[in-house]
Amino acid sequence: MTDITVERDRRIATRRISYLLGSVFLLLIAVALGVSVGETSMPIHLVGQTLANKIFGASYVLDPIDAGIIWNYRLTRAIVAACCGASLAVSGVVLQAMLRNALADPYILGISAGASTGAVTVLILGIGGGLLSLSIGAFAGSLVAFLLVIMLARAAGGGVGIQATGLIILAGIAGSQLFNALTSFIITRSANAEQVRGVMFWLMGNLSGVRWNDVLLAVPIAIVGVCICIWHRRALDAFTFGADSAASLGVPVRRVQAIVIGTAAMMTAVMVSIVGSIGFVGIVIPHAARFLVGPRHARLLPVSALMGAVFLVFADIGSRVLVPNQVLPIGVITALVGAPGFALILIRGRRIR
Amino acid sequence: MILTAEKLGWKVRGISILQNVSLDVEEGETLGLIGPNGSGKSTLLKLLAGILTPSSGHVSLQGQAMARMSRRQVGQTLAFVEQQSDTFERLTVRDAVELGRTAWLSALRPWSAEDDRIVREALRQVDMSGMEKRSWHTLSGGEKQRVHIARALAQQPKILLLDEPTNHLDIQHQLSILGLVKALPITSVIALHDLNQAMTCDRIGVMSKGTLLAVGTPTEILTLDLIRDVFGVTARFIRDTDGSHLIRFQSIQ
Repeated sequence: MTDITVERDRRIATRRISYLLGSVFLLLIAVALGVSVGETSMPIHLVGQTLANKIFGASYVLDPIDAGIIWNYRLTRAIVAACCGASLAVSGVVLQAMLRNALADPYILGISAGASTGAVTVLILGIGGGLLSLSIGAFAGSLVAFLLVIMLARAAGGGVGIQATGLIILAGIAGSQLFNALTSFIITRSANAEQVRGVMFWLMGNLSGVRWNDVLLAVPIAIVGVCICIWHRRALDAFTFGADSAASLGVPVRRVQAIVIGTAAMMTAVMVSIVGSIGFVGIVIPHAARFLVGPRHARLLPVSALMGAVFLVFADIGSRVLVPNQVLPIGVITALVGAPGFALILIRGRRIR
Repeated sequence: MILTAEKLGWKVRGISILQNVSLDVEEGETLGLIGPNGSGKSTLLKLLAGILTPSSGHVSLQGQAMARMSRRQVGQTLAFVEQQSDTFERLTVRDAVELGRTAWLSALRPWSAEDDRIVREALRQVDMSGMEKRSWHTLSGGEKQRVHIARALAQQPKILLLDEPTNHLDIQHQLSILGLVKALPITSVIALHDLNQAMTCDRIGVMSKGTLLAVGTPTEILTLDLIRDVFGVTARFIRDTDGSHLIRFQSIQ
């Protein structure tokens, strides 16, 4: 190896590490803000002292109620919001690449709605006799919904490809309406509706009930899911001109489709089972990221994950402070930001085609 | 034989699209595939490229059964240029050509200066040097087709398969794309619509109703009887001033 290539490799490695550190730093700031800002605002130094006590065993004297709010409520909430944002944004990127459809996203394609139905089915109807966890029910529901939507789009003469853009979105609308209706039906019908989370939770999302056990599920799923997708970055790039083109470039198409769509469904399902369905993250964030760093997945995936995480932490802050003494469903905030973003993508898309 | 098809057949939902096609492609030749719409040219190319799995028969690449090769191995040997493929992504010419390196890269073999050189060389071969930064959506149809060919060349294939690469292009671009493909020092199989353009290939294969009717040199194959039987038109040969033959067509009354 020549000196020039060694020098170049070293420069690339340094740049990657500095991007990684910068991302972690941004994420920490967002989470710190998420913990600090709220109905009762917690000064940053109080947040720092609580974390120091809990993590490093420091012994600052703190009000146990403040410390409890910070550690058990706000921090868990902010961490899960970040995981959820990263997962949904990366799922959106993956679905857009696989379906070659700029409008694909887990919420629009009915994957989130299917996950809700799956989770509610396990929770209320008790299918699986307690052996199946909520997440597994949600995963099954999300896969069923996705396959149904794809089959419907195919039957309507579309499917996967650039011409099928509209058809698959229509099929997704049909699918999400169906599964949302099923979710509402199952919840309303069940006798013990008060014991479980309500319809609004599953349709609009809510981070209020998040605790440490949810963090322990959300963090590994988000990290593993995002890493699996990044591992397949070149294969995802190769789908730019379609599945046939990807195959001729040397990509094992079926295997890659199964792995990355399965990963997207898994991330979406687990996040839905923890916080309900949250819309628009999976479409607005990937397009904003494309605008910043271009369409290549080596950059697009990590940047989308970071932006999604930060966006959802801020959306959660918004949901808690916008209306005094009330918590808005987080889906309301993401839709308020996301729907205009979606409109913008539609308008820009017309110019491309 | 660098690429061999043996008794290939392909069915979709019980309907036979291609039957009993056997074909030997020789190293270095340009083989033209002709035939009317729906005669199975595209299907045959996709089977040869391994994009479709044959219902019967098999394809072998450099003497090795393709079914037993990994997609990556196939991608390092054979490249395929589709009839028309587009994208909604806002990528650059260089991004599109870099995709050609996919089969050669892995976690242990990241992008290197050698890949940069191969991409530059591929762009030079299709006469698109200096256009690296151009956005895909600003390219004309002929330029897009050149970029697709450059991407295929960046795969460093031994065999290039092209499905009607001149479709929808104006005459100037049709001729320049064909000239480009024939000048390449690799084996190529190319589906063509224009019989006069097919005359310039080393050999021609004629497809009709899902079978390969005949394979041979253009003068052996393109007879007036065959043109009438396969394409349903009467034809006449006209000798040009440079001694080459032109085919003139008339519909059967």
